[in-house]
Formats: sequence, structure tokens, C-alpha cells
Amino acid sequence: MPTERELQISPIVPESVMHNTKTLSNLQTLTASIFGAAAGILGLESYSGFLFYFIFGVLATVLFYTIRVAPTSLKAGHGLFDTSRYFRTQYEFWTGGLFNGLAGYILTWTLFYGLVRA
Amino acid sequence: MTWISNLTTAFGLLLLADSCYSAYEHSALQTHRAASLSSLAASHNAPTSTLPIDITIETIFATLTICLGIVLGTSNLRPIQWRVWAGKIEREGEAGFLNSSGEVEKDYIGNPFRLLESRPGFVDIRKQRKEFAEWVKNK
Repeated sequence: MPTERELQISPIVPESVMHNTKTLSNLQTLTASIFGAAAGILGLESYSGFLFYFIFGVLATVLFYTIRVAPTSLKAGHGLFDTSRYFRTQYEFWTGGLFNGLAGYILTWTLFYGLVRA
Repeated sequence: MTWISNLTTAFGLLLLADSCYSAYEHSALQTHRAASLSSLAASHNAPTSTLPIDITIETIFATLTICLGIVLGTSNLRPIQWRVWAGKIEREGEAGFLNSSGEVEKDYIGNPFRLLESRPGFVDIRKQRKEFAEWVKNK
């Protein structure tokens, strides 16, 4: 976290932070429901189901990074996998939405598992 | 640009629905076979047998397509450092904050010092002269 002094020298726009985190968490919640449907269809059980969610969750975030963050961020001279142009911390970008989407994932997972397995 | 993402998502949803129905049919067939077999013999099928490989592939492909479609449909991110954001507003104005259908985004604030800069004692008269000259020229 930047110190108070660093924030005075280079301030942060709160409206942009809100917009970016809202976009990212919307994406992660929505894709989590879709992954739940896929896991239910494939008939995944306990550990493999959660593993499926975490792998695909990270995959969705990587996809979001390559499509939305990377073009302008790399052009502005940031390093690879540096999200500091649009998000405050890397940890927040990669793992923030994972536990938010978990509820939606389990919901659609159990729904489709019950539907498909008759 | 939004039609690409909508099209991709719709196509992925179609594939997912197709694989869902195929998996349901497969499972219904399995239980039907097991029920008719158990009336003849005492052996039972395993409660969950493996799905055919093509349904699995179709599910994974549909998931990835939907994911791609949704990511393509997200709006542009805005820079969070104040100087980068303010520079972007000064250089590109409204054109840098268009959403996917080409209109200016609803919560676009614009120049944060707009009110300060329009005070009579702080007006940039040379810039306004230049703008007026260009407007006259373009007429």
C-alpha cells in the first residue's frame, strides 16, 4: 500500500478505481456461474470441482488481462503482468474476485449436476 | 464492437446448451439401460459413468468461448493514477472515454478543474482565440 506521502505526490482517482474493480468483479461473478454450469455438465465431484473453478478462474483473469489491460499497459511502459496502471495491487487483481464468484459457482454447479444426472 | 462479444457469447451458450442436453440424454440412457439390465441380471452399473469424450470437449470449448465473449464485452478500464487520467482527459477529451456502443460513458466527469478554469480572471484567452480562429476557418 502506498504511504500517505506517496499518495500526496501521485494521487489516485477513486472513481476510476471503483469502475475498474466493478468491471473485474462483474466479470468474475458472471464467468463463475458459467463455469459452474460446465462443472455440473461434466459431472465433477468434490476436489476436482473446486480445482476446476480455481484453474478456470485464473484463466478468465489471464484472458481479461491480455484483452483489456495489456495493450495500453505495455504501451505505457509497464512490465509484463504489472497491473499498476489500472489496479492498486496485483494481489487484488488476481485473487480478489475468486472468493466472490465461489458462491455463484457452487450454485450453478449443484443445479446443473442435479439436472443432468437425472 | 459489442456485436462481436454478443455473438461469441451467444454461440458459446448454444454449444453449452447442446452439450448439456447431450449429457442429460447420455445419463438418461445409462439409467434406462441399467434399469432394463437389472431386471435380467443382478449386476448394476456404476452410478456415474464417464461421459463420452466429445461431450467433454464440447463443454470445455463452449466454456472458453463464453468466457472470451464476456471478456470482450467488458468496458475499457480507466487509469487510476491522477496524472495519467488527467492527461488522458486533456489530450483526448470525451473521445477517450467511449463505451462499447460509441457513446460517452455515463459517469464521465471530464476536466476536474472545469469550473475553476472558467473564472473570468483565469481564462486562457490565447487558447480561446486559437479555437475561434480554427472554427472560423472551418466554416
